[in-house]
Amino acid sequence: MEKLSYLILSGVTNGSVYGLIGLSLSIIYGSSRVINFAQGDFVMLGALSAIMFVTTFNLPWFIAIPGVIGVVMLTALALNYGVYRPMVRRKAPPLTIMMGTLGASIMIYGIGLLVWGPDQKFVPALLSLKPLIVGPLITNPQQLAIIATFAAFLVLTWYILYRTRFGLSIRATGVDPKVALLMGIRSERIVLFSFLFSATVSGIAGVLVGPLLGGQIGMGLMLIVKGFLAAILGGLGSPFAAAAGGIAIGMMEALMAGYGTSLYAEPAIFMLILLVLFVRPYGLLGDYEAERR
Amino acid sequence: MLSIENLTAGYNGSEALHQVSVRIEPGTIVSVVGANGAGKSTLVNAISRLVTTPSGKMTFEGRDIMALKPASVVELGIVQVPEGRKLFAPLTVMENLRLGFHRLAGRSGSDKVFKDRLDYVLGLFPKLKERADQRSGTMSGGEQQMLAVGRALMADPKLLMLDEPSLGLAPMVVDQIFDILKMLREDGLTILLVEQHAEEALKLADYGYIMAVGKVRAEGTGPALSKDPALHHSYLGKPGETAA
Ligand SMILES: Nc1ncnc2c1ncn2[C@@H]1O[C@H](COP(=O)(O)OP(=O)(O)OP(=O)(O)O)[C@@H](O)[C@H]1O
Ligand SMILES: [Mg+2]
Repeated sequence: MEKLSYLILSGVTNGSVYGLIGLSLSIIYGSSRVINFAQGDFVMLGALSAIMFVTTFNLPWFIAIPGVIGVVMLTALALNYGVYRPMVRRKAPPLTIMMGTLGASIMIYGIGLLVWGPDQKFVPALLSLKPLIVGPLITNPQQLAIIATFAAFLVLTWYILYRTRFGLSIRATGVDPKVALLMGIRSERIVLFSFLFSATVSGIAGVLVGPLLGGQIGMGLMLIVKGFLAAILGGLGSPFAAAAGGIAIGMMEALMAGYGTSLYAEPAIFMLILLVLFVRPYGLLGDYEAERR
Repeated sequence: MLSIENLTAGYNGSEALHQVSVRIEPGTIVSVVGANGAGKSTLVNAISRLVTTPSGKMTFEGRDIMALKPASVVELGIVQVPEGRKLFAPLTVMENLRLGFHRLAGRSGSDKVFKDRLDYVLGLFPKLKERADQRSGTMSGGEQQMLAVGRALMADPKLLMLDEPSLGLAPMVVDQIFDILKMLREDGLTILLVEQHAEEALKLADYGYIMAVGKVRAEGTGPALSKDPALHHSYLGKPGETAA
C-alpha cells in the first residue's frame, strides 16, 4: 500500500511535467499547426537559467523566477521573429517550419553548451526536498509544487481559452485560421502569444523538475519526447487532452518501474501508445477535436 | 464607395481574373453573376486580400487597399460572408456572433455597442436567439446561412460582401435571405452580392455585372441586365462573345 501510494505520487509528479510540456506543444500546434521541436529547450533553459540566477548570481527566488521567465520569453521571441515569421512570410508549410524549429533547437543547444558546458549540474530547489508526511503519503514540498503548478496552469489555460475574448480568438484560429482572418483576427498575434505562453509553461516546468533530474544541457530531448508522446496519446488538438496524456504516461512509467523493471518501461509505453492509436487515431480524448475539422 | 480598375488576380501563376473593373456606390446592392469558375469568389477574396493581385487598382472610400492585410480590410469595414458559410462549427452560435464583433471589440464603450449589435442581429434573425448555446455546426443549412450573415453584421460593416448565400438552400429560405438584404439596404448598408442564381440576384440589384471565365462580360442596371444576351452566353459557356 505504501509502495503503491509512493508510485502513484511519483507517477503524477513526472506526469505533471510531461503534461506541462504536452500542453505547451498543443497550444502552439493549435494556433499554427506546427510541432515546436525547440519546446524541450525551454525546459532546459528554465532549469539552467535557474542555476545561473540562484547559484551563480546568488539572487533570491523572487528575482530569479521573473529572470527565468525573461530568458525563456526572449528565446520565444527570437524563435517567433527569427524562425516562424520569416518562414510563414515565404509561405512555408507547417512541416517545413517544424524543421526550422528543429534547427533552432540545435542552435539553442549549442549556445547553452557554450554558456553552461556539458556537465550535469545541481539545480537548487525552490522548495525543500525533505520528506513530508501528508496522511498516508510520503512526499516533499517540491513534488507538491510541481503538481500544484500543473493544476494551476491547467486552470489558467482553461480560463484564457474559455473566459476571455482573446481565448475565443485563439480557439477560432484553431478551428479555421483563414476564416478567423475574415473576422479581422490577426493570427500572427495569436501565434506570438502561444509561443510566449508555452515557453513560460515549459520554463517553469524546468525550474521545478531541475532539482529532481539534475540540470544538463541535453535534458530537453528526453522531456520533449515524453511531452510529445503525452500530446499524441491524449490528443494533440486539445491542451487538456495533452495534459491528461502526460499523467497517463507518468503513471505507466512509475507502475512499470515499480512492479516490473524500468528496463521495459519505455518499450512497453510505446507499445501501449501504438495500441491506443490503432483504436483511437486522434488520441484518447482527441475525438472532440478531430470532429472539429 | 468601392472602385476596382483593371484588376488581375491569380493562383500560383494561373490567372483567374483578367482586367476586371467594378464600381459600387454607397447604399446600393451590386450583384455579380456568372457560372461556375467565372471568378466570382476570386473577386470577393481579392477584395478581402486573400488572393494575390499582381496588377490593377482598388480603392475603398478613396483609400488604396491593394497593399492591405486581410485584418486591415475588415477594420475598414469590408466584411465577407464566405461561400459555404464557413462557420466555426464546433463553437456555439453566440461565440460565432462574438467573433463577428471582433472588429469593434476592445474599443471604449464596446460592451454597449455589442449589446446594440446583438439586438439588431437577433431582431433580423430571431431563430438565432433560441439557438444561442447550440454548436453552430449542428444547425440546419438555412439557419447556418442566417448565422453567417448575422456574424458579418455584428461587425457593423460598411460594405457587406456575400458569396453565394443561396448555395444549397431551399427557394423559400433564399427569398427570406434576399428580403433581409433589401431591408439592410434600406438601413443604408452597401452590399456586394455574388450569385449563380442570376435572375433573382439581378432583380434585387441596383446594378449588376455578368462574369465569365475571369472577365466582366456585361454590366448595367439590374432589370435590364437580366435580359442581356451575355447572360445566356455566360451560362452556356461561349467565352468568345462579348455583349458589353
Ligand atoms: N485556390 C485556388 N487555387 C487554384 N485555382 C483556383 C483556386 N480557387 C479558384 N481557382 C480557379 O480560379 C477560377 C475562378 O474560380 P472562382 O472560385 O473564383 O469561381 P466562382 O465564380 O466563384 O465559381 P463558383 O460559382 O463555382 O463558386 C477557376 O478556374 C478556379 O479553378
Ligand atoms: Mg465561388
